[in-house]
Amino acid sequence: MIWALPLLPAIAGLALWAAPPPRPGAAAAVMAGLTALLAALLAGAAGHLAWSEALPLRASLPPLAAVVAVAVPLVALPVLLFAAADRGPALPRLLGLLLVFVGAMELVVIANDLVTLLIGWEIVGACSWALIGHRWREAAPMGSAAYAFVATRAGDLGLFVALFATFAATGSTGYDALSRLEGAPLALAGWGLLVAAAAKAGQVPFAPWLLRAMDGPTPVSALLHSAAMVAAGVYLLARLQPTLAAAPGAAAGAMVLGLATATLGGVAACRQVHAKKVLAASTSAQTGLMIATVGAGFPGVAILHLVVHAAAKAALFVAAGLAHRATGSFDLHGMRLGRALPRAAALAAPAALSLAAVPPLAGGWTKEEMVAAMGQAGPAAAMGGIVAGGIAAAYSARFWLLAFAPGDRAAGHVAPPRGGAIALALLSGATLALSALWLAPVRDAVARGAGVALPAGATAATAASLAAVALGLLAGVAMARRPGPAPRSDWLGLPHLIDHAVVRPVAALARGAARLDDAAIDGQRAGLGAATGLVGGVVGATLRASRAAGRGGERLADLPSRGGARLASLTGRDLGRLQTGLAHHYYTILVAGLAAGIALLFLGG
Amino acid sequence: MLTLAVIVPLLGALALAALPLDAARARPVATAVAGVPLALLLLVWATYDASGGFSAQAEMPWIPSLGIAWRVGVDGMSLSLALVSAVIFVAAIAWPIRVSDARAYHAWMLFLAGVSTGLFVTLDLVLFYVFFDLSLVGMYFLVGRWGHGDAQAAALKFFVYTLAGSLLILVGIIVLALSMPDLTFDMRAIIAAPPLSGPVAGLVLLALVAGFGIKTPVFPLHTWLPPAHVNAPGPVSAILAGVLLKMGAYGLVRVALQMVPEAFARHALPIALLGLASILWGALVACAQDNLKRRIAYTSVNHMGYVVLGVAVAGSGLGPEAARQIALTGAVVEMVAHGLITGALFLVAGAIWQRASDHDMGHFGGLAGPAPRLAGLATLAAFASLGLPGLAGFVAELHVFLGAFAVYPWIAAAGLLGILLTAALFLSMLRQVFFGELPATRADFADLTRRETAILGALLALVVLIGVWPAWLLSLIDAGSLVPTLGPGG
Repeated sequence: MIWALPLLPAIAGLALWAAPPPRPGAAAAVMAGLTALLAALLAGAAGHLAWSEALPLRASLPPLAAVVAVAVPLVALPVLLFAAADRGPALPRLLGLLLVFVGAMELVVIANDLVTLLIGWEIVGACSWALIGHRWREAAPMGSAAYAFVATRAGDLGLFVALFATFAATGSTGYDALSRLEGAPLALAGWGLLVAAAAKAGQVPFAPWLLRAMDGPTPVSALLHSAAMVAAGVYLLARLQPTLAAAPGAAAGAMVLGLATATLGGVAACRQVHAKKVLAASTSAQTGLMIATVGAGFPGVAILHLVVHAAAKAALFVAAGLAHRATGSFDLHGMRLGRALPRAAALAAPAALSLAAVPPLAGGWTKEEMVAAMGQAGPAAAMGGIVAGGIAAAYSARFWLLAFAPGDRAAGHVAPPRGGAIALALLSGATLALSALWLAPVRDAVARGAGVALPAGATAATAASLAAVALGLLAGVAMARRPGPAPRSDWLGLPHLIDHAVVRPVAALARGAARLDDAAIDGQRAGLGAATGLVGGVVGATLRASRAAGRGGERLADLPSRGGARLASLTGRDLGRLQTGLAHHYYTILVAGLAAGIALLFLGG
Repeated sequence: MLTLAVIVPLLGALALAALPLDAARARPVATAVAGVPLALLLLVWATYDASGGFSAQAEMPWIPSLGIAWRVGVDGMSLSLALVSAVIFVAAIAWPIRVSDARAYHAWMLFLAGVSTGLFVTLDLVLFYVFFDLSLVGMYFLVGRWGHGDAQAAALKFFVYTLAGSLLILVGIIVLALSMPDLTFDMRAIIAAPPLSGPVAGLVLLALVAGFGIKTPVFPLHTWLPPAHVNAPGPVSAILAGVLLKMGAYGLVRVALQMVPEAFARHALPIALLGLASILWGALVACAQDNLKRRIAYTSVNHMGYVVLGVAVAGSGLGPEAARQIALTGAVVEMVAHGLITGALFLVAGAIWQRASDHDMGHFGGLAGPAPRLAGLATLAAFASLGLPGLAGFVAELHVFLGAFAVYPWIAAAGLLGILLTAALFLSMLRQVFFGELPATRADFADLTRRETAILGALLALVVLIGVWPAWLLSLIDAGSLVPTLGPGG
C-alpha cells in the first residue's frame, strides 16, 4: 500500500502527458492534493517488495518522513497551478513530468533501504534532466540539463559506495544495517551519503549545477529548489543522521561543508542580478544551513526548516515568474514592480521576510533553532550560522526590493495570470500559517508529533543572530540601491574551476584515448598485414573468383527460375567467397589447433 | 524441442535461398520463421524445471568414438540468453530496411538465427565450437555484402580476428575433452568433474579467456568491433551487439568458469582487471567519438566490461558466496539487458542511416521535432544504457557492482567512474542528435513508421519490464547453480 505513494503521482503524471485532459492544470493539482492526502493517511505504514531475491525493497514512513511526504505534494500543488497558468510550450508534458518528479521524490522519502533510495534518487535526477531541458528546441537548456544530471550523478557515486560498503559488510541493504557498521565500511557509508547529499542539495563543489538549472522553466525551478531534488539531499542526511554521526568525521564534515556553502552561496546570491539566479544561489546557502544543522545532530530542526524554506522559496520563484511575465526578462535592473504588480509584491513580502529569517515569520523561528542547534556543536559553528543568517537577510531584502519595491512601472500594464496569483497566495499563506511555529503550544505539538528534538537556545547567541539579521537587512537595502553589473562569473568562479579542472581534462583524456585506440587499430592493420598478407592474397583471389562465379550465378539465375539454379547462384556468390579461399586457411588452423592441443596435453601430462 | 528451434531457422534459410520466392515477401516469411524458435523457447520456458541442472535435454549419437553427439539442453542462463537472442532476431529481421537481394539477406539472417540458438542450447563442446565459427561466417557475409563504407575490410578484420580467437578456444576445448577419463565432449560431464589442474589448466584458461575475450570483446582485443559496427547495416549491428557479443561472454561462463574453475579462481584478479579496463577504456573512448555508431559500439566494450567483471568475481572463490552469486546474476542480466538495449540503440542508428545516410552526430540536431517517436524511444534506450533505475541496465550493473565490491572493492569503486562517463556520453549524444536547433537540411526527416515503432517499442518494453520487476528474470537465471563451489586455490 505504501508503494502507492510514489506510484500514484508518477502514473497520473505519465497518463496526463500521454492523454491530456481538457484542464490539465486542475487535474494535476488534484492529483498532487490526493498524493498529500495519501501521504497523511499512510503515516507510520511500512512495506516490503520482493524486487530481487537478494535485494528486497523496503519502505516505511516514520513521523519525520511523513512530514516531508505531505509537504512535497502540498508545495507541488500551487506550483502546478502556476505552471498551468504560465502557458509555456508542451504544457501536458511539463505537468506530467512534474508529477513524476513528485512521485520519485516520494520514493526517496519512503525508502527504508539503500536500493530503494538509490532508485528514487536517480529517477529524481532523470526527471530533473527532462524538466530542465523542457524547452529542448533552444540551444542552452539541454546542455544545462546534462550538466545537472552528470554533476548530481557524480555525487550519486557516493551513494553507490555507501550501498556497496553496507552490503559487503552486513549482507543487507536496509537502513537498519547501517547501525551495524563499523570501521572502514562505516566511514565509507557516512562520507558516501554526505557526498551524495551534497551533490543533490547543491553544496560546494557541486553548487554550479543549480545555476545552470535556471535554464529550465520557472515552475520547474520553483519545485526543484523547494520540495524536490535539493530537498532530497537534506532529507537523506536527516533520515540517516545516526550514520552520519557515527562515521568518523562525517558530522563535522557536514557542518564545515554546509556552513561554507551557506556563506559562499549567500555571497554569490548578493552579487547576482538575474532574479532566478539570486534565488538559486540562495537555495545552496539555505540547504547548507540545513546540512550543518544535521551535522550538529538536530535532523528534525533541519526538516522543519526544509518545509518552511520550501514554502517561501516556491513563492519567491512564482513571484519571479510573474515578474518575468510583466517585464519579459529576469534582469533585476529596473524591475521594481511594486506599482505594476502590487498584489504580487505584497504576497512575495512574507516569503522574502521568511527567507531573511525575520521574526515573527516562520523562517525566523526555524533559523534561530538552527543557530541554537549549531551552538550545541560549538561556538564556531554558531558563529558561522549567525554570519550566514545575516547574509541571508541581505540577499532576501535585496531581492524583494529590486523586484518589488515601488518603482516607475505603472499598474495594469500586464495583469498576472489568475493561476499564478492563486499559487503565490497559497504559498505565501502557507508561510504565514507556518509562522504559528512561534507559538509555544503549536511548536510543542509539532515537535511531539514529528518526533523533533529541539535544541536549548542560548540568549546571547539568539541576540547576536537577530542583530546579524538586522545588519543584513540594512546591507540588503543598501545593495538594492546600487545593484551593480552582472557578475563576470556565476558562483564566484566555481564553474570555471570545474570546467578547467575536471571537464576539460577528462575530454582531453578521452580524445587522447580515442587517438590511441585508432592508432592501435591502424597498427594492427599494419601488423595484421603480415598475418593477413597470406589471407588477404587468398581472399583477394577468392573475391575475384567469387565475383566471376557470382556473375556466372546471376546468369544461371536468369534461366527459368528453378530452385536448384537459385541455390547454385547463391552458393556461387556467397559461399564461394569463403569456401574456396579462406577455407584452406581455416582447415590449416583447425589442424594446427589440434596439434597444439595435443602438444599441450603431453607437455602438462 | 530445442533441436527444432535450431533446425527450423536453418531450414528456413535454405528454403529462402532455394525457393523462387518473391523478394518482397522475403521479410515476412523470414520473420515468421524466426518466430518459430522464439515460440519453441517460450514453450521450453513454460515447462522449465527450475530444480537445477539442464532442462529439455535431448541427445543423438553422432561420432561415438570421439564422444561427440548432438546434445541439447538449457539451464537458466542459456535459456534466458537463447530467448533474448530469439527476440532480437525477430526484431532485426522484421525491421524494415532497404536491402539489395532481400532473399539472400534474410536467408543469412535466418542462418545466423539458427546458429545462435544452437550455440546457446547445445551441450556438446564440438557443436558449441562449430556454431561459434558458423556465426562468424554468417556475420562475415552480412557485414561484407550488405554493409556500407569500407565494409569488406571491416568484415575481413572481424573474421580474421575472431577466427584467431576461435582457434584458441578450439585448443582449449580439445585439451579439456582429451583430459577427461573417457574421451567426451559432453559439457555436463566436464562441468560435473572438471578434469584439469595445475599449469595446463592455467594455459587452457589463458587460451579460453583470450578466445572468448576477443569475441566479447575485452580490452585490448576490442578493436575489431568499431569498424564492424560502423559499416554494418543497423539490424546486423543489432545482432552483432545483441547476440554475437553474448557468445563470448556466455563461453566465458560456460566453458572458462565452469570447466576450469580451479585455474579461474587462481587468475580471477587479472580477469577482473581486464573487465575494469574495458569498462573505463570503452567509456572514455566512446566519449570522444563523433560517429553515432562508433559511440554506441564503444559503449558495448564498456558494458561487456561489467559482464567480465561480474564473471571474474563469481569465479574468484573469494568473499561471501552470496556476493559471488549476485555478481554472476548481474553479469547474466547485463548480457540480456545489453542485448535488448544496444540492439535497440543500433536499430535507432539504422533508422537514422536509412533516412540520412549519415552517422556524424555533428550533422544532426533537433530531430525530436520532426521525429518525436524516434527521439522518445532513443532517449529511453539511452537512459537504459546509462543505467537509470527502473530500466534493465540498472538491475544488471547494481548486481555486478554489489557483488564485486564485496570481493574486489577497489576495482568496483574504480569501475563506478564508468557509469558517470556513460551518463555524460549518452546525454551529449541525445543533445547533439535529437535536441537543439534542427538543421535546415533535416527538415523533412521522417519519423519512425508504425512497424519500426512497434519493434523498438517491444524491445524497450522488455527493458522496462526487467527494470521494474526483475524478480522473474533473476529466478530464471538462478546464478547460484553456476557459481563453482570450490574454495580459493582448489
